[in-house]
Amino acid sequence: MNPTRRDLLAWSGGAIAGLILTPVPWKLLGDSAKWTQNWPWIPQPARGPVEVKQTACALCAKGCGIRVRMAAGAPVGLAGAATHPVSDGALCPLAFGAHQLNWHPQRLRQVLHRGHPASWQDAVAAFRKAVAEGPVAVVDGRPGRAASAVLEAFAKQHGSYHAVATREEQSLAPYAEWSGVPTAALGYDFANVSTLVSFGAPLLDGWGTPGSFARRWSRRQVRLIQIEPELSRTAACAWRWVAIRPGSDAALAAGIARTMPLEAAAQQSGLTPDAIEELTRTIVAEGPVLAMSADAQPAVAALNLALGGSVVQRREYAAPRVPLAGSHRGILIDSTVPWEYEPQASGEVFRFAAWSGGGSHADWLLPAPGFLEELTDVPSAPASAIATYALAAPLMKPGHPVSSAVEFVGASIEEAIRARCERISRDGAGRLYRPGEREPVALAGLKLEEELMAGAVWVDNPKNTKIVRCKLKNWPSEVGRSEARRSWTANWAPPVLPPLAAKLFQESNLRERPEGSLV
Amino acid sequence: MLRASLASAIGLSTALAAGWIVFPRVLYQRQSQPVEFRHQTHAAKSGTAQCTACHVLREDGEFAGLPSIESCAGCHAEPMGTTKAEATLVADFVKPHREMPWLVYSRQPANVRFSHAIHVRRAGLECKECHAGRGESDALGPYRQNRISGYSVSLLTMSQCESCHRDRHVEAGCLGCHE
Repeated sequence: MNPTRRDLLAWSGGAIAGLILTPVPWKLLGDSAKWTQNWPWIPQPARGPVEVKQTACALCAKGCGIRVRMAAGAPVGLAGAATHPVSDGALCPLAFGAHQLNWHPQRLRQVLHRGHPASWQDAVAAFRKAVAEGPVAVVDGRPGRAASAVLEAFAKQHGSYHAVATREEQSLAPYAEWSGVPTAALGYDFANVSTLVSFGAPLLDGWGTPGSFARRWSRRQVRLIQIEPELSRTAACAWRWVAIRPGSDAALAAGIARTMPLEAAAQQSGLTPDAIEELTRTIVAEGPVLAMSADAQPAVAALNLALGGSVVQRREYAAPRVPLAGSHRGILIDSTVPWEYEPQASGEVFRFAAWSGGGSHADWLLPAPGFLEELTDVPSAPASAIATYALAAPLMKPGHPVSSAVEFVGASIEEAIRARCERISRDGAGRLYRPGEREPVALAGLKLEEELMAGAVWVDNPKNTKIVRCKLKNWPSEVGRSEARRSWTANWAPPVLPPLAAKLFQESNLRERPEGSLV
Repeated sequence: MLRASLASAIGLSTALAAGWIVFPRVLYQRQSQPVEFRHQTHAAKSGTAQCTACHVLREDGEFAGLPSIESCAGCHAEPMGTTKAEATLVADFVKPHREMPWLVYSRQPANVRFSHAIHVRRAGLECKECHAGRGESDALGPYRQNRISGYSVSLLTMSQCESCHRDRHVEAGCLGCHE
């Protein structure tokens, strides 16, 4: 009996049906997926001795504590440092994946001169020429660091030093005007607040020192009343969200303080007079109260004083925040300056950045060290109530030639860091929080710089934090600037944002809810 | 019609046999360990059945790796018998101080981190719950490597991890294991 074509087709049909009932197709599918994980060009974490180091995150000025898991000398995982006095174990999603940022496609790997590849020698020669012809302006994004002191000293010799105020500092600007204390030394004492009235400040989205506030909030130690037009992520998680018309913050603040007729405040804010009255009763029901805004809002600051709220002054070296203006031969922009910043002055711009966000008008784009690739110090976070100091140790080596702005001007920060450590040790005030230890230790007999390099954090004595006395004679007539509210992602979305950031954000403790679940 | 049904049945049977019997044998490549190691014999002679006697956990609880050749040399500085494995062990590894290239049955992929400290110390799991009683057998058995993925057949899969965590009501996010 010879097999026919019909037999072959019937056999094939049976075989196909049979194959579906075996592990063959499913196993091949799964194994093929795993095979793609191990293609030779896909980077793999090195295998080797595993160790965990604690250091400070230098992605932004907050200086959260991070535990870096290292395999064969290379960081492979990051987590929050549970006993860290600044962040209290919390981390933002960007920090969770930050050890991968150095391989981001947007990483600036080459010197660019007006968009074209150039050499470091060309950049150095152009800068020296600019310095010789002068003046040169230096723009710093995080004043108060050792690098800032070095850059400021250089700028005083060759031109001028300018600092970009953070949004936290902007919100404190009215108090600086009324008290004479520089904004860089002002802070909010969140630890002693029961009711927090936030006019649009994204407190649960990275504003201020997010970890410590998020912890208090998740433990139901503070009532957060969020007043803003949009249902932001912070508003969605707040104890109460009050939706108002865009730009009516000042009017509502005046209405709550009764310096504006309720009807007028209601008309501007979109609330009813009864709603404003009820809101006022709710706010004052549980003190101490703190009212704050996302940016410079004199009316909100005045409301805070009217409600008995306060701001504090910590011991801090406070470089004056002088905005950049006028004409300069050269403008040197440090890598800590936000990418979105464009100098409102003329001059040849030398801009340092680890990642390129595109669309920059800088004449020179200069590759800076990336995450954990350089030694830097981390002074107090903006708007912090107490002075702190930590070091971010270099745990990775850059894969291409990089330079910091300090190195570019022919200086180094080691001496400035050493001098600051010696100053803190000599002063003797404050305590040192070592990695993994809940209880701080006194500074006496300790080698502070070595301790900080090992991940410890110096925290000033709380007695050195003072309540600021403000002289406010009249209710501020000027209505503050109300910019579009932006979340933490807005600062990073243009340059870099890891694809897993959203997922990581969900897993971070930053947005732990009082009920214990994650958002 | 009968003839077509018969052909279909033969095709079905052939596929089932190939899929369930032949395919697993072809998919996994069998490799031998450098020497045949007997857990039971070593446990009996050393007088301890504790896995951690040789598979040391560091102070922080993490797995410190397989025993080094120095551990073997403590007893096997000279051949302790006349077997071929004994001669190979002493001549090829102990005397030249060369580490044994063990094929690790449960080595996780590079993108996975498994913490022995958490599972053994905090959760109190016994070794055999994940290592399938390998320490109680007197033969290591062949190392079977998937020809496509390159992973060991004995590797714990993510679904096994998830299943165990689900049964014990222990939450673990992506970052708990993946980096």
